[in-house]
Amino acid sequence: MINNILAVFHKEFIDNLRDRRSLVTVLLTSLFMPLFVVGMVIVMGQLLNPDIIEKPIQLAVTGKENAPQLVEFLEQNGVVVLPAPADPQSEIQNGRQDVILVIPGSYAEEFTQGAPASIRLILDSSRMSASPNISRVKRLLGAYSQQVSATRLMARGINPAITDPVLIIDQDISTPQSQSLLFLNMLPYFVIMVIFMGGMYVVIDATAGERERGSLEPLLINPVRRSEFVLGKLSASLPYAVAILIVCLVTIGLAFNLIPLEQFTGFPMSVSLTSLWVIFWICLPMVFLAGGLQMILASFTRSFKEAQTYLSFLPLVAGLPSAFLIFLPVKASAVLMLIPAFGQGLLINQVMRAETIDPSHVLISIATTLVLSVVTIGLSIKLYEREELLFGKR
Amino acid sequence: MIEVNNLHRSFGKVAALQGVSFSAGNGQITGVLGPNGAGKTTTLRILYTLLRPDQGSASVDGYDTCKNALEVQRRIGALPDSHGLYPRLTARENIRYYGWLHGLRGKGLENRIEDLIHVLDMKEIADRRTEGFSTGERMKVAIGRALVHSPNNVLLDEPTNGLDVISTRAMRSFIQRLRDEGKCVIFSSHIMQEVSALCDQIVVIAQGRVATSGTPEQIQRMTGCDSLEEAFITVIGSEEGLEK
Repeated sequence: MINNILAVFHKEFIDNLRDRRSLVTVLLTSLFMPLFVVGMVIVMGQLLNPDIIEKPIQLAVTGKENAPQLVEFLEQNGVVVLPAPADPQSEIQNGRQDVILVIPGSYAEEFTQGAPASIRLILDSSRMSASPNISRVKRLLGAYSQQVSATRLMARGINPAITDPVLIIDQDISTPQSQSLLFLNMLPYFVIMVIFMGGMYVVIDATAGERERGSLEPLLINPVRRSEFVLGKLSASLPYAVAILIVCLVTIGLAFNLIPLEQFTGFPMSVSLTSLWVIFWICLPMVFLAGGLQMILASFTRSFKEAQTYLSFLPLVAGLPSAFLIFLPVKASAVLMLIPAFGQGLLINQVMRAETIDPSHVLISIATTLVLSVVTIGLSIKLYEREELLFGKR
Repeated sequence: MIEVNNLHRSFGKVAALQGVSFSAGNGQITGVLGPNGAGKTTTLRILYTLLRPDQGSASVDGYDTCKNALEVQRRIGALPDSHGLYPRLTARENIRYYGWLHGLRGKGLENRIEDLIHVLDMKEIADRRTEGFSTGERMKVAIGRALVHSPNNVLLDEPTNGLDVISTRAMRSFIQRLRDEGKCVIFSSHIMQEVSALCDQIVVIAQGRVATSGTPEQIQRMTGCDSLEEAFITVIGSEEGLEK
């Protein structure tokens, strides 16, 4: 039993080690994923960098002669007032300006009468990069409005505080570290993708590949149980999947510790060796599940190409729930740990956030993933025992 | 020793076998002759345990192919219809893998592989990766790995398909050599001349049934024909399978 499994393992391992092209493809993917995340962090960080707030805003103002006091207030608060462009709307559409202030001719009259004097901001709220400047301009205009109303109230002998029945104070407890995790939320998705990628070529080569080469029929005539073939072939894919997972995690570690990300994002960002070590163990059971699922799917495919098409979908489907984590932060709970890949995604996020992890969550996630692995591997053995395996029929 | 008893097998609505029986003794070459689609490959696949018969049974050295599949697999060496190799492994490694799967290891296995390389005249190609091998070279490796465990029963499904004249001759003398070693050899072909030149016993299969069987002379006598060629046409009812 063990000897047969070892024989199959040995052959498949060596055979696939000689398949340089597939190895290089997988290796590059596992390097690309973390570097992609780092790239995103740098780009996004520069867009949303809080340091931008300290730089003066360039604000184009139409009709500044209508409200000299307001313009003076803006200039005092670090705004560089630019002359009005000819076509404000197209300036915004083209992204040449983040926001344009329009002061209509009626402003002065309304202002002196004590009526609400309307001014207009031309902006594009869907443009992410403009949003920090937009909110700064709005805040400044709000401050000006407040200042004027306070002066008016005091002129009438009223305490301006009366207009603020409720005072809202923001107490933001997000650390710089946790802000940066907005981008790192992508990592679980990529780590799961990489786990599936690592063993995929070996599984395809050992199943659909055998059928395509015509080597399956003679192979099955040997006095070896189908379960031994499945276990041997599956286990040959594991070292590759684990190796790729390690390459991916090491790349993450190097990228986050060697590239001075703080310069780009304005907040410190690092991933400790311990975090990576914990993530590795959280992810390890996924390797088995990925292998089992791939063996099942590959048993239905007739050619290398067909297998590649189907198996490429697996990481996308498995990673989909984790992909949602990028946009919708979900709180970890015991029930969610029952979902393979998603549970791991949540745990990876928690580790990256340096949050305390509930050990029972880790146990539930590992246990369910392992149980499902056993079930899928058992199912794939059943599938390989069918006569139809020879022909690749459904 | 191989016995086949009243095999029936259908694939969907197609009845591939409708009662095939014959027996093949040790030290004999039994030719299974029939036109394409007659049921030769299905019969052989049942013998090497890859298919189960709907009805009837087959046994190798007394072991039933369904109930004792592993015992049967240990006792046969088969060259099936498709016999692809592993292109990234050398010829020697391809043969060694099958040796491992038969539980062979170490010096005994290496000596056996060396013998096969010598007998099959493949010294020059033994340590080359099989990618790019010619049909004849592939066939040698496929035969070598099928016989690595020195099986008593050898099943060859159209082994001369696609071979040139020289390789075909080498293959024939190799099959005769196996017979002389006392093995039970079953050899399928759709080419009558080949079967009549080589076989001690012929089983003619047509449309999933045994049309006739016996030695070449017996078949000729039974059909009352002057030549085996005519007898063959009489038996299967068409000229399919004759080399012109």
